[in-house]
Amino acid sequence: MSYKLPDEKDLEAMIGIVGKDYATSNKAITASYLAKSVMGLESQIPDIVIRPKYVEEIRKILIYCSQEKIAVSPISAGLSGGFACPTIKPGGVMLDLSRMDRIIEIDEENRYAIIEPGVTNGALWAYMAKNHPDWAPPIPDGAPPAATVMGDAIDRGFSLYTSSVGPQGDNFMCGEIVFPNGDVVRTGSWALPFAKPFYKYGLGPDMWSFLMGSQGSMGVITKAAVKIYPHPKHKTVVVWGMDNPYDMQDLTLEVAKQEFGISHNTVMVQGGNYPLVMARWPKDKIPHEYEFYKELGISQWWMNWECWAQTAEELDYVTKRIDKMAEDFKKRAKSPDAIVKQVLHPKQIASRMKKPNKIAIPYSFWEAGFLFITWYTPWNECAHFAEMYTKAMEKYGFPPVIWIASIERCRQAICMPIVCFDSTKQSDFEKVQTLNQETTEYALKQGWLNYRPDPYIHIQAYYQAGMYWKYLRAFKKLVDPNFIMHPGRLALP
Amino acid sequence: MERLKELEKDVYRCIHCKACRFAYSGEPDRKGIGEFTGKQGTVLYEGMVDACPAGIEHGWEAFWNAGKIWIARSILSGDLEFTDEVRDVIMPCITCGQCSAQCENKVRTVDIIEALRAACKEAGVPMIERHQLVERLTKELNNPYGGKAEERFKWAKDAGLEKFIDNKDAKVGYFVGCTASYRQIDIAIATCKIFEQLGIDFTLVGDEVCCGSPFFRVGAVDTAQELMNKNLEAFKGLELAFFSCAGCYKTFTNDYPKWMEGDGLPFKTMHAFELVSRLITAEKIKFKPSKELKGKVVTYHDPCHLGRHMALEMEQKIIEESKNLMMDSRKIRQVINDWYEIPRIVLRQLEQDVGIKFTEMYRIKLDSFCCGAGGGVRAGYSEFSLRTSSLRLDEANAIGADIITTECPFCWRNLSDANEEYKHGLTVYGLLEMIDTFKLLEVIEQPTLKEILKMKE
Repeated sequence: MSYKLPDEKDLEAMIGIVGKDYATSNKAITASYLAKSVMGLESQIPDIVIRPKYVEEIRKILIYCSQEKIAVSPISAGLSGGFACPTIKPGGVMLDLSRMDRIIEIDEENRYAIIEPGVTNGALWAYMAKNHPDWAPPIPDGAPPAATVMGDAIDRGFSLYTSSVGPQGDNFMCGEIVFPNGDVVRTGSWALPFAKPFYKYGLGPDMWSFLMGSQGSMGVITKAAVKIYPHPKHKTVVVWGMDNPYDMQDLTLEVAKQEFGISHNTVMVQGGNYPLVMARWPKDKIPHEYEFYKELGISQWWMNWECWAQTAEELDYVTKRIDKMAEDFKKRAKSPDAIVKQVLHPKQIASRMKKPNKIAIPYSFWEAGFLFITWYTPWNECAHFAEMYTKAMEKYGFPPVIWIASIERCRQAICMPIVCFDSTKQSDFEKVQTLNQETTEYALKQGWLNYRPDPYIHIQAYYQAGMYWKYLRAFKKLVDPNFIMHPGRLALP
Repeated sequence: MERLKELEKDVYRCIHCKACRFAYSGEPDRKGIGEFTGKQGTVLYEGMVDACPAGIEHGWEAFWNAGKIWIARSILSGDLEFTDEVRDVIMPCITCGQCSAQCENKVRTVDIIEALRAACKEAGVPMIERHQLVERLTKELNNPYGGKAEERFKWAKDAGLEKFIDNKDAKVGYFVGCTASYRQIDIAIATCKIFEQLGIDFTLVGDEVCCGSPFFRVGAVDTAQELMNKNLEAFKGLELAFFSCAGCYKTFTNDYPKWMEGDGLPFKTMHAFELVSRLITAEKIKFKPSKELKGKVVTYHDPCHLGRHMALEMEQKIIEESKNLMMDSRKIRQVINDWYEIPRIVLRQLEQDVGIKFTEMYRIKLDSFCCGAGGGVRAGYSEFSLRTSSLRLDEANAIGADIITTECPFCWRNLSDANEEYKHGLTVYGLLEMIDTFKLLEVIEQPTLKEILKMKE
C-alpha cells in the first residue's frame, strides 16, 4: 500500500477546515509528538499535525485524506502512558484531539458519563470528585493523570474496576465514530436519535466492539458514554505475600472464584514481584539483593486486593474473608511458610488507593527508559508466564520486573513485564526487541494474546489468525476504503 | 551542544507521560476551592490543575514541557535540526520548573531547556530580537534596563543610605540586582533599612553588574559568564552576600558554581527574607501591630527561582550523594518542606503580631503557579507573560486576597503590571517592602555576624 506524503497544498486544505491556528507542518511542533517509550518503541514524526475541535471538522479531514490517500493517526490528548499509538511509518497526518475535552453529561441515575476523546483522567476525576462525589469514573490505575479515559477504552485497558466488572472496553456503553468514508455512526441505543446511551447492544449486532483494540485504525471516536460506579467511603487494601508466582496465582483465583460478594468488592486485584519496588529507583542507588526488601517486610511476590464497600461492616467482612481464605490456602500452597499477610501503614494504603496515580512512571529512573510488553493469559497460566518472562529478562540483563492483575474476577490475567533499559544505547534497544521477539514466539505457542500489539513484532499473532484477519480487513475496507487510518497497526495496511 | 549532551540521560528518561503539565499531579483528591471565573477564564481549583504556562497559552504539544524534551531528544538523535521554528517553540517557556517538580523520573527539565536554547544559539540560530536588544544593552551598560552604571545606586544616595556604598570594612555584601536598582527601588531601600535596623554592617558593591540570570536562561551563556566573572571579582573577600531578588540569588547560588572555575563560591549566599525568618525563630525580632493592615487578607506567591529552583537543586544534591535513594527520599521531602516554611514563618508571625489574615492560594510551594516573568519571557513575549501573571492573580482573587506578597522584584513587577492591566484590584508588596513600608519591624536583639553566618551552615 502506498500513501501520499502531504505537501503545502494539503496543509492549506487542512487550514481551510480547522483554521490556521490548528494545523501545522512546523518541524519543531511535529517532532514533539514522538514517543518511543512505555508502550512501544516505534514512532515517526508526523508530517502535519491538526487539532480539530468539532465532529464536522474531523469528517472533512478524513474525507479529504481518504481522497488524497494520506495516512491519518488519531491520538486522544497528546502522548501519555495511557495512549500507545503515535504515528508510525509512513507518517502523514496526526490528529491531536486534545481540544475535544468536554465532559458533556453525568447521569447518576443511569450511571454514565458522556465525554469527548480529549478528557484526561485527571480532569474527569477532579470534576466528579467536586460535583458527583458519590460516583467515580473507571479511570485506569497506573496510567498517568494526563492519559485519557477514551484512549484507555480503545486499548481495552485495565482500569479501577476491571478486576470486579471486566475489561475497560466493557465499561463503554455507546459511542460516536467518524469513519473515513464520511459517515458519522452512533452505536448501541445511541443509534436512535432520541435514545439515551443506556444500552450497548441496542440495535442488534454490536458495532462498538469493532472499535475496541482498534488503536485508531478504523475511525475517530468523537464521543463515548462510559459507565460510572459508586465511590464509597469505606475502602482499604489487603495484601498477602508469598515467595513464588504460583501461590500468588492460585490464592487469587480462589478468592475470585467466589464470583459474588467479596470478589465484587475487590475492585482492583493486582500484584507482582519485589523488583517492582526496586526498579523505581536509579540502578546505582538502590540495593539489588532481596535481603534488603525482606528487611522492609516486602515478600518476593505479593497480591493486593483493593476493597471497596458501602459500609464499614461490609468492608470488615470482605477483608476478614480474604484473610481467612489466605490462611486456609496455606494447606494447599507450594510454600506455606512464605504465605504472610503484609501489614500496610495507613499512608501506604492511601498511596495505593490514589487515582489517577503516577505509579507506573518512575521505571525510567532505573536507567533511561522502559517498555511495558503486555499480554493476556488465562488467569491460571499467569504464573507460567511470569516464570518464563522473568527468566528471559534476566537472560538479557534486565531486572525481572513483573506486574499482574486480574480481569473480571480472574477470568483473564493482564501480565505486564516492565523492561527497564538504557534507551540512549542502540544496543539496549536491540536487546529489548530481541527479547520481545523471542518471548512473543513462545507466548503465541501457549495461546497467549498480546495486549497492545507492536506493529512489527506482534504481527506474528495475525499470521496465526488468518480467517479473523481476513474479516478484520473486510470490515476496515467498508469504513476506510482507502486504508488511511493508522496504517501499519494491527497488521492492516 | 556539549551541555545538552551531558544531559542526554535526563532527556531519555522522559517517557512522555505528561504528568508534568499539572500542579499536584500526584494529588488527584486534593481538596480545593472549587471553580473560579477570573480575568483569564474559569479554572477548577481541585485535584490536579494545568500549570505549564506555555502549554496553556499555545496548546500544541511542543509548548508543554514533555514536547520540548522530545524536541531535545530529536535534536540529540539527529532527527531534527536547529532552526527558527525550533527556537520559536523553545523560547516561550518561563522555565518555572513546575514540570521538573512533577517528574517521577527526576528529569532536570529546566537545565535541559536552557541547554537546548544555548545549543540553538551555538548552532547559529539568532536569538529573538528582544533578547538581542537586552544582550546588547547589558554588554554596553552591565544591566538589561539601559540604566547608567553610575546611577545603579542612585536610590541609595537619595534614601540616605550612601554610607553603605563600597563600605570597605564590611564582611557582608548586599547584591541588589538590576530590577531593584533601576525599577523596584522600594525593595532595595526596604532591604537596606531592615539591615540597618538589625545592625548589620554591610556594603553595596560599587562594581556590581547584572547577575547574568537572563542570559543563562535564554542560552547566551558567554554573556552570562562574562557577567559572572565580573561579579565574582567584585564580591571577592566578602564572607556573605545577601540578596533581595530571587533570580539573582538562584543564579549566584546554583548557576555560578556550575559555570565558574574552582570549587564553589568563596562566600555564602542568603536571601534577606531568610534572615528575617531565622531571626523570628530565634526570637530576636517580632512585629508591631498595624491599623492599616489589620484584617487584610494577605497571600504569598512563591517565586519560582527562590522556591522551586532552590528546592529542586537541594533534591538533586541528595540524589547525587545518596547510596540508597529509597531510604533518603524522606530526607528530600523534609528538606523541601523546611525550605518552603521559611517565608511562611514570617507570614504567620505577621498574622500573630500585626493582625493580617494569612491565606494560601490553591497552588503553593513546589506546585506554585508562576508569575510569568522568568526565562526571558517578560522581555520576549510580554503579552503572554502578563496573561500568565493575571492567571496567578485570578488565583489570589479566588481566595479573596487584598494583598499579594512575594520575595522577588521581578515577580513583583509582573504581578503589579498584570494587576493594573487586568484590574484585579489587589495590592502587590515585596514581603520586606511591606514590613518596611508599615514600619512593622521590632528588634529585640540585634544578631552578630557570627550568628548570621551560622544560619547558613
